[in-house]
Amino acid sequence: MAKIVACYKWVIDETDIRVKDDLSIDVSRAQRKLSDYDRNTIEAAVRAAKEAGAQAVGLTFGTDKIKPSLKEALSRGLTEVYWVASDKAESADGKITANILAAAIRTIKDVSVVLCTDGSSDSFARQTAPRIAAILGWPVVTGVRQLEIAGDAATVTQARENSWETLRAPLPAVFAVLPEINPAPIPGLMAIVSAAKKPNTELKAEDLGASFETNVRTAGAKGYAMDRKNIMFTEGAMADRVRELALALRKEGVL
Amino acid sequence: MSEDKFDAIIVGAGIAGATAALLLAREGLSVVVVERGNYAGAKNMTGGRLYAHSLEAVIPGFAEAAPVERRVTQERISLMTETGCFTASFLNGRPGAPDRDSYVVLRGAFDRWLMEQAEAAGAMLVSGVLVDDLLTRDGRVCGVIAGEDKMPAEVVILADGANSQLLERAGLRAEPVGPRQMAVGVKEVIEFDDKVVEDRFNLLPGEGLAWLFAGLPSGGKVGGGFLYTNKASVSVGLVATTAEFMKSERTIHELLERFKAHPAIEPLLKGGKLAEYSGHMVAEGGYDMIPRLYNDGVVVIGEAAHLVINLGYTVRGMDLAAGSAQAAAKAVIAAKQAGDFSARSLAAYKTFLDDSFVIKDMKHYRKFPHFMENSRLFNEYPEMLEKICAGIFTVDGRAPASMLSKLMEPMKEVGLLNLMKDGLKGARSL
Ligand SMILES: Cc1cc2nc3c(=O)[nH]c(=O)nc-3n(C[C@H](O)[C@H](O)[C@H](O)COP(=O)(O)OP(=O)(O)OC[C@H]3O[C@@H](n4cnc5c(N)ncnc54)[C@H](O)[C@@H]3O)c2cc1C
Repeated sequence: MAKIVACYKWVIDETDIRVKDDLSIDVSRAQRKLSDYDRNTIEAAVRAAKEAGAQAVGLTFGTDKIKPSLKEALSRGLTEVYWVASDKAESADGKITANILAAAIRTIKDVSVVLCTDGSSDSFARQTAPRIAAILGWPVVTGVRQLEIAGDAATVTQARENSWETLRAPLPAVFAVLPEINPAPIPGLMAIVSAAKKPNTELKAEDLGASFETNVRTAGAKGYAMDRKNIMFTEGAMADRVRELALALRKEGVL
Repeated sequence: MSEDKFDAIIVGAGIAGATAALLLAREGLSVVVVERGNYAGAKNMTGGRLYAHSLEAVIPGFAEAAPVERRVTQERISLMTETGCFTASFLNGRPGAPDRDSYVVLRGAFDRWLMEQAEAAGAMLVSGVLVDDLLTRDGRVCGVIAGEDKMPAEVVILADGANSQLLERAGLRAEPVGPRQMAVGVKEVIEFDDKVVEDRFNLLPGEGLAWLFAGLPSGGKVGGGFLYTNKASVSVGLVATTAEFMKSERTIHELLERFKAHPAIEPLLKGGKLAEYSGHMVAEGGYDMIPRLYNDGVVVIGEAAHLVINLGYTVRGMDLAAGSAQAAAKAVIAAKQAGDFSARSLAAYKTFLDDSFVIKDMKHYRKFPHFMENSRLFNEYPEMLEKICAGIFTVDGRAPASMLSKLMEPMKEVGLLNLMKDGLKGARSL
């Protein structure tokens, strides 16, 4: 049976990130979660697979912390998840990630469609889908808000600045989908329980033979502190204070 | 076990639920824990102090591995008025002993760890799912209902905490509890840079302070404030009875703000960052509020069974939650061996519980809820102590009064007879 692969990322929950007084970033207590929009992407794969009589599977690349993601991804309706764990994933950029994912996709049999999310909720670099497609030599469409698979081609609607464009691509192909492609229902009790029985397959980074080379190095990461103006309007009648506030906002170019 | 039927479904991954899951999984029972929060502990709050003895019996030396914040070595109790604060303070310098120790915990991290121990033993956690109802057949509980899904099990263990919505469905309680039997708690976790907590509270690394307040925090009503030191933060909050509270002119949030702004507290919180704000119900009623504990195919443990000792100024529920989980697990394991999950078989839970510290302690404090309804404890006595202390420690050039009158005048205002009566009653009910 043909496979539709949903790529997903297990990210740090951004609400747990602390910026310290010296602007250093503290993620030591941060929990991980399935990148928000990847939930919609997984659901898109599940729906498309149902329509096309294909099988929806997941694929993820991360550190050894990705294990808990398997149950969550599977409870969203995927039949199997493939995962690549490496401690180098923490610092991997778009090039490395795409190298690994493309190599993994080659080892999975009968892949007809690869779905990525347009951007992940942590870095939002929007590189994964185009890079995977380039490595595999497959067609790619980004910004996809509608997907229909019929036979050996897919019809997709792409969101443009002021318009939608409908495109047809021969399969196999890679699509980067937008979250509005479909909602991402919260998995129910039975779906979660049955996820525990579904298979997952580890693909070893060494065996994939993909390169961890990249030219981009992280030089540093710093929190961003907003400089507030700290102007307070405490004197006078409420109406006057509101007028002053509006005036000040206009002066700043906010209004 | 048939393909989809679990031995036990546990509702709630708090201390009670996770402990029960661990014990059942260890004995090879198939267990699924259903938790409405996104992870175990996500929705749970506590003041902070876990008495270790009962969990110690389940996981010896747990505090070495678990994410506990600090071991309590310093105790303070204060009677607080608007302008004063009378504090008794005790430093326990004895070396730690696992069965006697207590720890400050934050539930987000602690419950998650505890549930992971249960998962490692083979229990399954389903998080992000609310159990809406119980599945029943001929008046017998036989599973749970969550959304569209119905899931059967031999036994359902209700560990859904204070204000359990499922007790009545299980036929364990005739009618919902009223506001008199519930209290409400609020808490803020205020974070500091490393070391600030130790410097400010005079603590050694790993050691912590438990500080309770009566009087002002609950607005002179039944209740109390608390302050616990975590690793790099402070948990500060208060508990107030809902019934009192509905009469009060202040919201609970205002009470907390006023408590935090008190001159005894404000300097201690200065420069800290608010990391978490939470509110939660507390079962209040004491021994007499404990519902029926078992029925065909169902048992109830932890605070869902009102197993909590609420002394107004302090709440103790976590060690009772773990204790009741042990009693229930023992009964459920025996029921599994006998292949009989009827009420008759599960009655063993009550026997085990009656024999445990849980019910013994609950009985011991049985009269306390009534004693607490005495408003002098939260109004007159803090004021009396403030006046006595102000009298003793003030020099203003006026003719001094004798020590005796400095003591007696404020005491007479409360009434000597009242003092004696309350003293006796309090001593008896404690
Ligand atoms: C302000 C405050 C201060 C306290 N201070 C202390 C203290 O210092 N020391 C102490 O020992 N005790 C203290 N307590 C009491 C103590 O926190 C509780 O007694 C204890 O947490 C009870 O544990 P439990 O496992 O029974 O319930 P909980 O910890 O409440 O766990 C119940 C779980 O069930 C889940 N749940 C509920 N309903 C459903 C449903 N329908 N479907 C799925 N999941 C559900 C909840 O999300 C939760 O995870 C305090 C309580 C409060 C509110």
